[in-house]
Amino acid sequence: MILNRESVDRSSEKKGIAKARTAIEITGLNKWFGELHVLKDVSLSVSEKEIIVICGPSGSGKSTFIRCINHLENYQEGTVSIFGEKLESNKKSAVLIRNNVGMLFQNFNLFPHLTILQNCTLGPIWLRKIPESESIKQSMALLDRVGIAALASKYPGQISGGQQQRVAIARSLAMEPRIMLFDEPTSALDPEMIKEVLDVMIDLAESGMTMMCVTHEMQFAHQVADRVIFMADGEIVEIGPPDQVLKNPKWDRTSQFLQHVLSHKS
Amino acid sequence: MDSQATPKTELLNFIPSPSRPPVVITHGFTGWLKKHLFGGFWNTLLTIAVFTLLYLLLKPFLEWSLVKAVWTASSRRECLSISPDGACWAAVIRWSNNLIYGRYPDPLQWRINLGIGIGIIWLLPLALKKIKHKIVIGLMAVVFYPFLASYLFLGGDRGRLHYVIASVALAYLFMLYMNIILIYLGKKQTGQYFESLIERFVPRRADLLGHLTFLLILSVLIAFIFRDFSLQDVSTDVWGGLFLTIIISGFSIVMALPIGILLALGRRSQMPVVRWFSIATIELVRSVPMITVLFMSVTMMPLFFPNTMDLNKLAQVIIAVCIFAGAYMAETVRGGLQAIPKGQFDAAKSIGLGYWYTMAFIILPQALRAMIPNIVTSFISLFKDTTLVSIIGLFDLMLMARNISIDKNWFGLHTEPLVAISVLFFIFCYTMSQYSQRLERHLTKGR
Ligand SMILES: Nc1ncnc2c1ncn2[C@@H]1O[C@H](COP(=O)(O)OP(=O)(O)OP(=O)(O)O)[C@@H](O)[C@H]1O
Ligand SMILES: [Mg+2]
Repeated sequence: MILNRESVDRSSEKKGIAKARTAIEITGLNKWFGELHVLKDVSLSVSEKEIIVICGPSGSGKSTFIRCINHLENYQEGTVSIFGEKLESNKKSAVLIRNNVGMLFQNFNLFPHLTILQNCTLGPIWLRKIPESESIKQSMALLDRVGIAALASKYPGQISGGQQQRVAIARSLAMEPRIMLFDEPTSALDPEMIKEVLDVMIDLAESGMTMMCVTHEMQFAHQVADRVIFMADGEIVEIGPPDQVLKNPKWDRTSQFLQHVLSHKS
Repeated sequence: MDSQATPKTELLNFIPSPSRPPVVITHGFTGWLKKHLFGGFWNTLLTIAVFTLLYLLLKPFLEWSLVKAVWTASSRRECLSISPDGACWAAVIRWSNNLIYGRYPDPLQWRINLGIGIGIIWLLPLALKKIKHKIVIGLMAVVFYPFLASYLFLGGDRGRLHYVIASVALAYLFMLYMNIILIYLGKKQTGQYFESLIERFVPRRADLLGHLTFLLILSVLIAFIFRDFSLQDVSTDVWGGLFLTIIISGFSIVMALPIGILLALGRRSQMPVVRWFSIATIELVRSVPMITVLFMSVTMMPLFFPNTMDLNKLAQVIIAVCIFAGAYMAETVRGGLQAIPKGQFDAAKSIGLGYWYTMAFIILPQALRAMIPNIVTSFISLFKDTTLVSIIGLFDLMLMARNISIDKNWFGLHTEPLVAISVLFFIFCYTMSQYSQRLERHLTKGR
């Protein structure tokens, strides 16, 4: 099960991109919800194929942060650039995001009135203007890769949470993104389903996808993350390789939180 | 992950208990009767009481309407002399042509039958399983059918544009049925025969262009064939009866949904002007009785249009009813929109769908599906509400029925016509409600 490593490599070669090219560049991001200052001057640079895991206590602004990257939330100050292009709220940026960034949600958010297959083909057919038959072929291949091709004609309400989340992954991949954002993709799942989703995500990571993932699966963070970010009160308080942040955190908050998460797990 | 060993070995020894078939409750008719109507003393008593009451109430009605009824007579006096306390259905039967077609000239009534028939034929494919893209068929019907139908109903010279669009409508209907036959024969559809040719020039969307090409050819052909065809002019003043009721309510039922959707979306819009306009329209219309809207449409609408424009009463009334129904529909649709979780918008946006795509593919299908019962309820009440147009002098089914009582032969005969049109209304409304329930079951199947 090797995901589209080749296609990613080829596309980057074709455009003559250096290996350590910056995928996401965030500078001085500030966001308020009314009076509430949710993101305080957040800056971060993510290079291509890098895997970033974000953790932190509830309400620290992780979701808001990650949603700013694909403009699901708008922000009052700061800039977000994707592959060197600054995002604005216009059509051009929307196309840039659509072609490069996919996102997964805690509640899967599949379209309940469409079949699994239709969920996957909708974007390619209407946005990438791929002929229907070709799009079906491509989506079936993706569904096969996440291991649910057999359920293609079912509706989301008829399959389990883990399966739904894998469909959501296939739906995102159908748009052929180079960056994937994950907002707690496994926290609404029963324990036995978490693994099947994590497996797919690990595969994605190995295939060379640039990933930013809000999760409290520390095992996963250890295994695939290049850097782990710890957020608290709308700020990045700690950032570094997983061994450093998870094993020897510099800040008390971090170690307290990690202890809490780990004790909660076992 | 070392704790996995123990449960696994246990699982190996685990033998599931055999499954049983589900419990089936079969009582048959007598069983059902026993259980539901005569189970226990009080239940039996209640059943007997209710049936006695029903009998007492229905007996005089049945006697009046069937047993003692008069079916053929030439005047009310004759009815009374035959059976003084029976229903005089003869009046309704004598007037039946007027009740259905209004004062539309007898020899031209085939045009109404044909027009309505074409409408039904157009919509029949929606019930076929093998047909795809039903929404296109429906949309084409909404957009093009009115031109074809009005061409038939109105007759006369309706101008070149109207003629062309009516030709396209007829061509589309022919194409639709050709395609259906081809699909059921397992052959390629008409438009697909042009695909390879078109692909040479325009590679993109050759399938769609193929269908359009065939439609164009067929339209030209039809427009050519019927070039000398002309129909006698029939003024809308003589339209009436069930026909008029169907025209008014059909038009407003079809238009209410798009108007309602646009107003509901406008009400949630980020753009202040659009939002204010939508809110103002909705609130204004909803706070005025329909009769007022109808009167205003006849008296005030001419003020808004240039003097040269020839407005007829029917068009004014239809516009008014459409806006009225649209405003109510907007609130129904808004209810449906509010029930859609925010995650659906997020997901749509995250795969890059813009506003209109999100609405068309993700939000509205779900919102409308959830609101089918409410939407059909408003359709039904709209259908019944159109009887109000009789007040401003349109001879719809209601006014036609009332008219019987001032016919010199049937003077003072009120009950029978009203009972008759009640039955008609019941048939229509009940059909709609049954259809909506079927639709609902069908759409929620497997979810
Ligand atoms: N739409 C909103 N309107 C107002 N306040 C909001 C909104 N969304 C989030 N917030 C607030 O912003 C802060 C950050 O929320 P966010 O969802 O980003 O936190 P989080 O780190 O993802 O938390 P969790 O772990 O619970 O998901 C919280 O205090 C939250 O109450
Ligand atoms: Mg969150």
